Amino acid sequence: MPRDKCPAGEENRADVKRKGGIKWNKYLIAGLCMTGLIVLLAIVGIFWTPYSTTSMSASERFAAPSLRHFFGTDNFGRDIFSRVMKGIGTTILISTLVVAMSGTAGILVGALTGYFGGVVDEVVMRVTDAINGFPSILLALVVISVMGTGQRNLVISLGIVFMPSFIRIVRSEFIRLRDADYISRARLMGVGRIRILFVHILPNIFSTFWVSVMIGFNNAILAESGMSYLGIGVQPPQASLGKMLSDAQGYLTTAPWYALAPGLTIVWIVLGFSLLSEGVQRLSK
Amino acid sequence: MVTIEDLSVNFGSTEAVRHVNLEIQGGEILGVVGESGSGKSVTALTLMGLVSEEATVTSGRILFDDAVLQEAGKPRDKALYRRYQGERMSMVFQEPMTSLNPTQRVGRQVEEMLRLHSMPAYSEEGAPGRGTAAEPSSPAEPKGRAAGGRQQRQAMKQLVLETFAAVGLREPERVYGCYPHQLSGGMRQRVMIAMAIILHPRLIVADEPTTALDVTVQNQIMDLLREINEKRHNAILFITHDLNLARRICHRIAVMKDGRVVETGTPEEIFEHPREEYTRNLIEAVPSRMKRRTKRGGGGQICPEPVVTVRDLQVYYREGGNSLFSRGKKNHVVRDAGFEIRKGEILGLVGESGCGKTSLSKAILGMNRDITGEIRHYSTRPQMIFQDPYSSLNPSKTVGWLLEEPLRARGKLEPERAMSAADMRCAAMEMLGTVGLSEAYYDRRPSQLSGGQRQRISIGQALITRPGLVIADEPVSALDVTIQAQIMELMRRLQEEMGLAYLFISHDINVIYQMSDRIMVMKEGKILEIGETEEVFAHPREEYTRQLLRES
Repeated sequence: MPRDKCPAGEENRADVKRKGGIKWNKYLIAGLCMTGLIVLLAIVGIFWTPYSTTSMSASERFAAPSLRHFFGTDNFGRDIFSRVMKGIGTTILISTLVVAMSGTAGILVGALTGYFGGVVDEVVMRVTDAINGFPSILLALVVISVMGTGQRNLVISLGIVFMPSFIRIVRSEFIRLRDADYISRARLMGVGRIRILFVHILPNIFSTFWVSVMIGFNNAILAESGMSYLGIGVQPPQASLGKMLSDAQGYLTTAPWYALAPGLTIVWIVLGFSLLSEGVQRLSK
Repeated sequence: MVTIEDLSVNFGSTEAVRHVNLEIQGGEILGVVGESGSGKSVTALTLMGLVSEEATVTSGRILFDDAVLQEAGKPRDKALYRRYQGERMSMVFQEPMTSLNPTQRVGRQVEEMLRLHSMPAYSEEGAPGRGTAAEPSSPAEPKGRAAGGRQQRQAMKQLVLETFAAVGLREPERVYGCYPHQLSGGMRQRVMIAMAIILHPRLIVADEPTTALDVTVQNQIMDLLREINEKRHNAILFITHDLNLARRICHRIAVMKDGRVVETGTPEEIFEHPREEYTRNLIEAVPSRMKRRTKRGGGGQICPEPVVTVRDLQVYYREGGNSLFSRGKKNHVVRDAGFEIRKGEILGLVGESGCGKTSLSKAILGMNRDITGEIRHYSTRPQMIFQDPYSSLNPSKTVGWLLEEPLRARGKLEPERAMSAADMRCAAMEMLGTVGLSEAYYDRRPSQLSGGQRQRISIGQALITRPGLVIADEPVSALDVTIQAQIMELMRRLQEEMGLAYLFISHDINVIYQMSDRIMVMKEGKILEIGETEEVFAHPREEYTRQLLRES
């Protein structure tokens, strides 16, 4: 039987976008370099640090930055560089867990409420409104004071604080896509609901979700530092960037490097991840 | 009056317009016809000085009378353009929804044209053209010039109201105080035209001014443009993809392809003796009642047994809005529908937007459950092909995955018909061939395909499970004419080969005529007429059908 081939004119445009590979942009490169260095320090910090992070030395209190101690030493004579290395690990671990927890919850709850709507959706939305109504640090404080301090409880409390924003973002994307023509078609084909939710819709919200994960990650780093600064986060002698900042505030004039080292590291991390997310976004365009 | 000499416009390294020569004489309607991507809009936007900053004019120049508006190698003179835009040339855009500011009353928006271009300038410019204008020459005007403030505002308002009346808006006072969303598409387009003509420009550029409108409204707007041209003697540059429209109102037509003007001439010359192969193809591809579909081959016989019967169907649409009066209100969008679709036939459904065509099809497919009456299916899992090829394929999947998904879904529902991955791949490859694409497309994503190719994949996806019934909701409306003809051909061939039944929905009665065995005419939720295609076209029973036939 005759097969009318798709004529040449129609085919022109097809090959333009094919050649794959990553199109590097400045944001991506800068972001990868900055976060790469941080991750490297954190990983190395797990196994080895120039000095022990806990050993004190009375003779070397408040040593200024030098070749011996890159970032100087603190009020107990501990090497600040070593403590920053450990602190990065702690901070990133906590932030990752927080984002993983709230992001997963966001996808599950947001997908179901967004797609199905109805009463459950209304109720969940009012609850997230309520959570949003509190200042986030205050809310985390309440959770901590009920459950007690510690790294696990810190993750849980921050996870709850971060959940509403993820739920909202995922939900609005699912609402946007649930009536898309291709989803209607999937329904007509007889595709099951769960498969529509997670196979047909979910990959399409990835770019939006990725951005919110990156922003969330940065906020989590800041929130962890803030909590530790307030003394309700990571407990001594464990090192965390926020904890170091709060310890350093008494010595701002005498040993400014004590505060500057963790402070600038936080800035570096946040900036690195912002650039990375911007770069990834531009990649998908 | 306006001369475009050897104009080339580049976007980066792509040439959008290549060495175009056009001349618009005072008082004439010049049609520029071409498919999407032919450079017709870019030419018009360059002329208006509205083309985006990324575009560069690489050769040629544009003259208005004897003033050089734009020349290759020189940056756009914005100050110069500001003196021309609005006053001597103005533009009507395609999309009346987005070209008005939704937060301002339309009267104020039109008035802004007067406020930006001072009234005295207007009266000098407009003087020659206004003797025969529909409006009585405005007595308020000298006052407006003399006294400032309130009187001038009064005068401007008066002029806006007169222009509204001139473009055929009834109750200009009421329209003046309306927000855009309170007006229909046709009314909005009239407001846009009022805005374009209020300063009596000598050139109006109309970029697909009727494409977003219904046929009957489209005709009114076309008549209005012609009337304005006759009364005010301003030239119109009419840009369209629709040859028939151009033929109806233009004095001369230029056909564009790939950035070039391939042929210029009067409508008679173009249509009776097209010189270029491309023009001929374009004319061929336009669905028209002159060409009847070829009689079906032996393959697909219409059987009397139905694939779906509909009886006493009422479809409701619950308005979700929080507007004061329509809260929770049920809109009755389809009334007393009763018909059947027989095995192996194409039933055409024609009607204007908002007549309930789509609601009816969604009800048949079970996508809208707010119905009463009876729908009985005799085939399994009917499929649907949507209008917009850009939103009907999941952008995150490959073509192969998309074609296999219906098979996977069926395998889940009917385990005895589950297929192995290799079999599904085979079926998908075969379907690619069936819809006229090579197997290389298997790994591509929708974003790498053109509109026509996407529509082919959509068709393949709908047909791969061999449903008995396919509902096609305006499947060719978003496509260029030549692609449209190919897709219609493809759909017809597949229908005959597979013995499918189609419910083929379109607003274009000519498309319906070419495709359908039987025709169903809908208006305001009611089915007015059902009958054999020839029968309905030869002896329409209803006045509305006759009107539709007359106007296309």
